Amino acid sequence: MLESSAAAPVLPNPLRQGLAEERVPEPAAMVIFGASGDLTHRKLFPALYSLTRDRLLPARFAIIGFARRPSSDEAFREEMRAACAEYARRRPLDPELWAAFASHVFYQEGAYDDPGSFTRLKTRLEEIERTLGLPGNRLFYLSTPPSSFAPVIRNLGQAGLAPPPPGPGTAPPVPPPPFARVIIEKPFGTDLDSARALNHQIHDVLDERQIFRIDHYLGKETVQNLLVFRFANGIFEPVWNNRFVDHVQITGAETVGVEARGGYFDHAGSLRDMVQNHLLQVMSLAAMEPPVAFDADSVRDEKLKVLKALRPIPSGELDSNVVRAQYAAGSMVGQAVKGYRDEPNVSPTSTTETFVALRLYIDSWRWAGVPFYLRSGKRMPKRATEIAIVFKEAPHLLFGRRGEGIRPNVLSIRIQPDEGIALNFGSKLPGPAMEIAPVSMEFRYGSSFGVEPPEAYERLILDCLLGDSTLFTRADEVEASWSWVSRIHRAWAEETAAGKSALASYPAGSWGPEAADRLIEADGRTWRRP
Amino acid sequence: MSPPPPPPHVDLERFARGEPIAVEIGAIERELATLWKSASATGAPAAEGAVSRAALWNVIIPAHGRENLAATKHLVDEIAPALPTRAITLCLDDAPAATEGEVQASIESNVASQPGGTRMVYSEEITLVGPRGAEAHFGAIVRGLGIPGVPTATFWLDPALPASLLERELLPATDRLVLDTGGCFTPHQLEELQRLVEAARPIPVADLGWLRLGGLRSLFAGLFDPPVGGGPLARATRLEVSHLAGCDASALLVVSWLGTLLGWRPLESGTTPDGGVRFAFARGDAAAGPPLEAHLVPAEGACGKSGILALEIYAGDERYAIHRTALDKTALLTPVAPPKPVTLDSPSDAELAVAALGRRGRDPLFARCLAFAQTLWALEPASGFSPR
Repeated sequence: MLESSAAAPVLPNPLRQGLAEERVPEPAAMVIFGASGDLTHRKLFPALYSLTRDRLLPARFAIIGFARRPSSDEAFREEMRAACAEYARRRPLDPELWAAFASHVFYQEGAYDDPGSFTRLKTRLEEIERTLGLPGNRLFYLSTPPSSFAPVIRNLGQAGLAPPPPGPGTAPPVPPPPFARVIIEKPFGTDLDSARALNHQIHDVLDERQIFRIDHYLGKETVQNLLVFRFANGIFEPVWNNRFVDHVQITGAETVGVEARGGYFDHAGSLRDMVQNHLLQVMSLAAMEPPVAFDADSVRDEKLKVLKALRPIPSGELDSNVVRAQYAAGSMVGQAVKGYRDEPNVSPTSTTETFVALRLYIDSWRWAGVPFYLRSGKRMPKRATEIAIVFKEAPHLLFGRRGEGIRPNVLSIRIQPDEGIALNFGSKLPGPAMEIAPVSMEFRYGSSFGVEPPEAYERLILDCLLGDSTLFTRADEVEASWSWVSRIHRAWAEETAAGKSALASYPAGSWGPEAADRLIEADGRTWRRP
Repeated sequence: MSPPPPPPHVDLERFARGEPIAVEIGAIERELATLWKSASATGAPAAEGAVSRAALWNVIIPAHGRENLAATKHLVDEIAPALPTRAITLCLDDAPAATEGEVQASIESNVASQPGGTRMVYSEEITLVGPRGAEAHFGAIVRGLGIPGVPTATFWLDPALPASLLERELLPATDRLVLDTGGCFTPHQLEELQRLVEAARPIPVADLGWLRLGGLRSLFAGLFDPPVGGGPLARATRLEVSHLAGCDASALLVVSWLGTLLGWRPLESGTTPDGGVRFAFARGDAAAGPPLEAHLVPAEGACGKSGILALEIYAGDERYAIHRTALDKTALLTPVAPPKPVTLDSPSDAELAVAALGRRGRDPLFARCLAFAQTLWALEPASGFSPR
């Protein structure tokens, strides 16, 4: 019966109209490469369980964990149960729901560079699909070391696991063929050349419509709200330009050090790990022009224009526009912490930056002359990611010395934690004197909506299953951001080769080196304390 | 002579405990502001003692009698942590001792601590109690007490209230009307609600009963997601809705939901030997097809306030069904996969009320289904509905 219904044209389901879940993904199997890794435990499985709990996954859905380590279905299920119990947004686990969820979870041992492993994966996948009545839709999640991206995709192609969809110019077949989509984790390349090479290798097997390059910052509710805030409210967009905006600050501050990621991070650094992807993506959403429609390509076209308009920093002006630094021993919440070079798996002579601050310009009509200050660092005193739009002062100050309390208006969009938006403005202090003090008007998701927003991975996995790539990064966006960032890396490499490295140091628990303060103070401005 | 007012700190302590404080009607706003200011200034350091006054909605909930008022205030308390509101509860007191012509007012706080306890969000509640006939005063008072610029929702949940209070006094100030078809004792009471929906146009109307059926509708709809698709629905010959006796209104809404979305045209109704009701339908697309019938079957079992125990649709010899196996558990039955147990949430009235003020509270499908249900109960003979 299943085969006959799968072969016949599938009529649309009229009962979805008006339901909270108007769009529910089609039944599918999801394969997670890197199933024994930290991301799978902390984020992916908890997200999948929470989606199941919220009934946002299709009733028929299978998850296959794939990794080198020998394990069994049962052992893997138990491992994932513990992970979900600790990290899922929807806790405590519902035992019956978990039992039903776990019965569709499987484990497949294999090597990423071994074609035979993929032949066995295909056999197992087909068997599971047959047993569960799945129509052959497949989502492959690459949560592996970046060096495995290309071999995994090549092997997926050779095993016939990821056939491309019909070309955009051809009439869609009825019924539509099953989909095969691939989510690729960051980092996508380590510089422009490697990103281009990776795109090339992936495009040998997959169509761009099958590729979902994930940047989990884009799945955060406040980042999505940025589009609503700008384009669904009439009052902000008219002042969102160089006539009214003095400058923009984007901060991505972490309290953690490199933890267990020393080996990876020492080859990456903050510019690759945070700025090239998260901060430039967030900046492109904050700076882009209104898209013609809220669909994947319209939004990504506008983001791309911003990335292409980034003014290259001339090599001779690098030090006055970019500051890099490394944390030294210091104190975090009353505890002494090590310096970066003393962290496990970090070279004691490492010159990798754990902090970077930049001044950049977007050469467009809207943003001409408006500096964007970006900074990202580890071992900062507070975990905070925010965009701050700092407006110009009023053109004429009426209040003379009495107006000393006036500060520029600041619109701050907090991405994490405590997602929300705040607007600072000056207000008269009560009393007979004309004294002015800054006050803040705040919107917080938790307070206003009474619920915490869903985890970014929940939203992004769901979007991928639905085939919506709006919140994923396109190949040309990745290359455009690498193109800008790689110039800085090349200049740093030349400095290091010449023995002139300008790597500064800052104590753990501080807001970065003095050089970062000097960078912005040279323009008569100061960093915000988020 | 009235007793002297208590000193301000006594009021503040009672306010912080969430107890009501009697206030003069004309001074409600000033009293609230004074209390908030005092609460913010007391005790903890500035950062911890800061108190936000947040409100996304003005919520008006009338009730009839002190007993219903207590239930209403309980609902408001449960809504508060999830949705900051200014709640204005109105009570028409039918106690013989109620003083004629006098409206009494009290204010209360609802407190929700933020994670970590450093910040708090308060919602505020104003209660107005008056004797029979006081409804004529409520409209003006409510219009004065709503927070400006914040939308107003009126929860009309008590069928014993005079319709004039809603239609004359409250609807002009209402941006969303919230009803509960789950409180209908007979399908004929749906007719009164249908009249209110018409009177409220173009104000969006949310129904707690409709939202209560949301989980069940979602699960049932899921049976027809790909690869099954809508084919079996197009070929359906029989629908069976098992419901608790007295929950015919919910069952009618379920039939109406399917009838509306699948384009069925009601032809006739009758009673069945099992004490239920039978409806015959024509298919909307005029295509020749087998006869189509829906049965409402009274039954026993745990099913929560929605009153629905099972929902089955037959397409030839194929059967697609949801059966409750416990209060919050169901089994999904289809010809294409083994039976599957699924958890079915039973949201509280407060959770439904919060949903009613969100996007799901603007579902235009509800009004269409209610109109469809009216067509069904207007069919003759329609005497088979079970009494509660």
